[in-house]
Amino acid sequence: MDTLKVRDAQDVEAAVRAAIASEQPLEILGHGSKRSIGQPVATNAVLDLSALNAVTSYEPNELILTVQAGAPFADVLALLDTKNQQFSFEPMNTSRLLGTPDVGTIGGAISAGLAGPRRIQAGGARDHLLGVHAVSGFGESFKAGGRVVKNVTGYDVCKLITGAWGTLAVMTEVTLKVMPRAEAERTLILRGLDDIAANRAMTAALGSPYDISGAAHLPGSALRTVQGPLGEIAAADQSVTLIRLEGITASASSRAASLSKLLQSYGAAEIIEDSQSAALWADIRDVVPFAASGPRAMWPVWRIVCPPASGGKLGQEIARRSQGEVVYDWGGGLIWAALPPSADAQAPQLRKLVDAAGGHATLIRAPDDVRRVVDVFHPQAPGVAALGERVRKSFDPRNILNRGRMSRSLSV
Amino acid sequence: MTIMMPAKDEAVLARRDAIIAALRKLVPGEGVISSAAEMLPYESDGFTAYRQPPMVVVLPETTAQVSTVLKYCHDNGIKVVPRGSGTSLSGGALPLADAVLLGMGKFKRVREIDFDNRAVVVEPGVTNLAISQGVAHAGFYYAPDPSSQIACSIGGNVAENSGGVHSLKYGMTTNNLLGCEIVLMNGEIIRIGGKKAEPSGYDLLGIITGSEGLLGVVTEVTVRILQKPETARALMIGFAEVEAAGQCVADVIGAGIIPGGMEMMDRPAIHAAEAFVHAGYPLDVDALLIVELDGPAVEVDELIKRVEAIALKCGSTTCQISESEQQRLLFWSGRKAAFPAVGRISPDYLCMDGTIPRAALPLVLRRMKEMSAKYGLGVANVFHAGDGNLHPLILYDANKEDEMEKAEAFGADILRLCVEVGGVLTGEHGVGIEKRDLMPEMFNEIDLNQQQRIKCAFDAQGLLNPGKVFPTLHRCAELGRVHVHGGKLAFPDLPRF
Repeated sequence: MDTLKVRDAQDVEAAVRAAIASEQPLEILGHGSKRSIGQPVATNAVLDLSALNAVTSYEPNELILTVQAGAPFADVLALLDTKNQQFSFEPMNTSRLLGTPDVGTIGGAISAGLAGPRRIQAGGARDHLLGVHAVSGFGESFKAGGRVVKNVTGYDVCKLITGAWGTLAVMTEVTLKVMPRAEAERTLILRGLDDIAANRAMTAALGSPYDISGAAHLPGSALRTVQGPLGEIAAADQSVTLIRLEGITASASSRAASLSKLLQSYGAAEIIEDSQSAALWADIRDVVPFAASGPRAMWPVWRIVCPPASGGKLGQEIARRSQGEVVYDWGGGLIWAALPPSADAQAPQLRKLVDAAGGHATLIRAPDDVRRVVDVFHPQAPGVAALGERVRKSFDPRNILNRGRMSRSLSV
Repeated sequence: MTIMMPAKDEAVLARRDAIIAALRKLVPGEGVISSAAEMLPYESDGFTAYRQPPMVVVLPETTAQVSTVLKYCHDNGIKVVPRGSGTSLSGGALPLADAVLLGMGKFKRVREIDFDNRAVVVEPGVTNLAISQGVAHAGFYYAPDPSSQIACSIGGNVAENSGGVHSLKYGMTTNNLLGCEIVLMNGEIIRIGGKKAEPSGYDLLGIITGSEGLLGVVTEVTVRILQKPETARALMIGFAEVEAAGQCVADVIGAGIIPGGMEMMDRPAIHAAEAFVHAGYPLDVDALLIVELDGPAVEVDELIKRVEAIALKCGSTTCQISESEQQRLLFWSGRKAAFPAVGRISPDYLCMDGTIPRAALPLVLRRMKEMSAKYGLGVANVFHAGDGNLHPLILYDANKEDEMEKAEAFGADILRLCVEVGGVLTGEHGVGIEKRDLMPEMFNEIDLNQQQRIKCAFDAQGLLNPGKVFPTLHRCAELGRVHVHGGKLAFPDLPRF
C-alpha cells in the first residue's frame, strides 16, 4: 500500500498530477470509516487527507462553518455543540452499522451524503454544503459556491460533489450551513402497528401542519435483540412507530398534544422527551437494529429510497420474500433492509421490487466478494447513466479518483 | 449598452426561411412565430435594458415536440434560447438574433397532485402561485415564493433556482424540487428523481437547478409541498441606525430563531414605500426591519416576545406587532411595493442583487453611500436581511446623457464590493447577461473552466443559451485537455507510510 499523506491543497494537486502521469488511480481517504461502501476500488495508492484537519473559521452568528475536508467529524460536532448548533441534516454515523472504530471526517460525510431522520424536514447534506475547494482529476484546484446561504452565482457544483463518493474531485475545504439546535424535542410512540398502518400514520403526521422532524417505524422482529435506547422501549415483539417534533418547548409540547389527537385512531401515543428522545433518534439514524455488533452482523444491508407513501407495502414485500428484516425512516421514504447472506445479496429480486415502487437501492454493507459481483449503486436508465458518466469525465477524464467506486463498469 | 453578445452566425441567418419552414413541420399550427410584429413581446425578459428580437419563436406543446425541435437545431448547428414566462431579471432569456427562442408557455397542465407523498407534478409553464393555489384546499402550499410568483413559471424557477422572502426558513427551489424531466440539446429525454427524497447517482437535479437554461429544457417538474403553518405574525421594528438593525438580525439568528421572513429597508426605501402605500412606516428611522414568525400560535406568540426583547436590546426606536392578519399584510404591503414605489421617485432604476455575510451589512451600506456620492446617483435599499441578500436600487434617468452607463458602473462596483466582503455576485436573480462579465471577480479561470466542462457534458456544441453566465465562450475540446506538469516525479516531499 502506497499512502500519500497530503498536508495541503498543493500536495493534493501534486499527487493527482503524478497519478495522472503514471496512470495510477488513487483511493481518496479520510479516516476510511466508509471505505467498505461502494464497489471495491482497485488500487494500492491511497491519498490520505486526514492531516487536512483544521477548522478554518466558525461564525456562529452567520450560521457558517468552514473546515478542511479531513477534519474529524466528532471534533466538529463537539465544536458546534459549544454554541448549541448542529448540522440539520443529521448525518448518519456509519460506524455502528459497519463496525468501524472511527466516525470519519467531514469530507467523508459530504462525499457519502447519508442524511439522517431530519432529512424529511431539513434536507440532505447537499442542502447544507455552501462552498467547496477541491482538486479535480485534471490536477487543478478549483472552488465552487461561496460562504453565504443564498447564492446562485454559476452552476451549483456543490450539489454534484455531495454524494459523489470522491469520484469527481478531492475536497480540500468545505463551507457548511449550520443551524441552531432545537430547544426541546418530543417523540410520540405508537405501539403494535403493522407496516402498512404505520406508514399511514406517518403519512397523516407528515401531512399535518405540525412540522414533523422524524418519522420512523420499527417492526417488532427487528427490535427483538436490540440493546440500548431503542431496546429499552421495545416490548414483547411489538412494533413501535416514532414521530418526532422539535422546536421551542411550548411549541413542541403543544404540537405533540395536537398530533396525539390527530393520530388517536392508531392508538394512544406515549410521549417521551428531550435527551431520552434524542438517544432514540441517534439509534434510528445509525440503524442500530442491524449493527455490526448485533445478531445480524453478517447480513448484507440495503438502503432503499422510495416514494414515502409506498414504503410500508414495499418494505413488507421485501421482508416477506427475502426472509429478511426491514426498518423504516423518513415517513416510509427510507427503508433499511437486512437480508440473509447470499452470494448476490439478493440484488436482482430486491431491485425488481424497488424499481416497481419507483425507488432505488444501495448496498451499504456487504463483503468485498459480494460487492464485486453486485452493482452497489442502483443501475440507472441508460440516458441518465450516460449523462452521469459524461459529467464524471468532465471532472476526471483519466478516471484517477476512486476509480470504479460508484460503477462496476468503470473499475478496470 | 456595454454588454456584448456572441457574434451572429450569418450562415444560419442566411438559412432563416428554410429553418422556419422546417420548424413549422415539427410544431404545426400556430406554434411557430416569425413576423417581426408578433415576435415583439419576446424581445426581452425582465431585464428590459437589453432587447433583441429572436430569429424565430417556437412554442411547442409536448415533450416530443421539444425533443424534435432541439434535435433539429442540434443537427443543424442552430442556437436555442429557452424561455418560461420571461420574468428573469438578469437577461437569462434574452433572445439572440441567430437563435430559436423556445417558449414553454403552452406547458400549462398540472399533471398530478399526490397529497400522500406531498408531491405535485406539473408542466414547466405552470406559474409558481398556481401550484400553491392548486393544493390550498387541502391546506398545502409550495414554499418558494419569488415576488413574481403570480407570473413566473415553475420551469423558470428551476432554471433560476428562485427563492423569495420565505427562503431563509424553507429554502430555494433546489431545496423543494424532487424530480424533473429535461430534454438535452441533442433531443434526448432524461428523467431524474421523482416523488422520493433523493435521486440515485450523481445529483444531476442539483446541477440542473439554477443552471439558467444552459444545460437542458425542463419539460416536467415534481415539487414537494408543505402544510401551511397554523399562523403567521409580523413585527415592524425601526432603528435610528443601520448598524443596530444589522445587529438585531444577527442576534435573532444567533438566538436560534429562524423567522419565516426577515426583511430590511433603508431610509430612502422606507420613505418611497410609505408615500406609495401608507403602511404606517416610521419616517424618522434609518432602517426598518419586518420580521415574520410562522408556525403554531403558541410558538409564534412566544417567539414574537423573544424577538421584541432582542430588538429592544439592540436599540430599536419603534416596534409594532401585528394583531391581525390585516395588520400583518399592511406591514408587508410597503416592502412588497418597494420596487414600484421607488419607481415613482426616479424615472429609472437598476435593481442589483448580491449576497453578503450579514455582519458586513453596515460596512457595505456605508461604502454604497460613498459610491452614490461618487457617481452622483441615488440608491435605495431593500434586503432579504435574514440571508444577507441585498437589492440596491440605483436611481437614474435614462434620458440624461451617460446616466445609464454610470448606473451600470455603480452596480458593478456594488457587486465587486459584495465579493470583496466575502459574498457573491447574485443571491437570487441569476448571472444571465447582467453579471456575466463580473464572473471573474468571484471565480478564476480554472473555476470557470470546470463549470464549463459540466456544460460540455450536457451540450457539447454549446448551442443552448450561449452568451449567458460565462464571460468567455470555450470549445469543449480545448477544455478537455489534461495538463500535467512535472511528469512522473514521485513527489519525494510528500510523507509516505
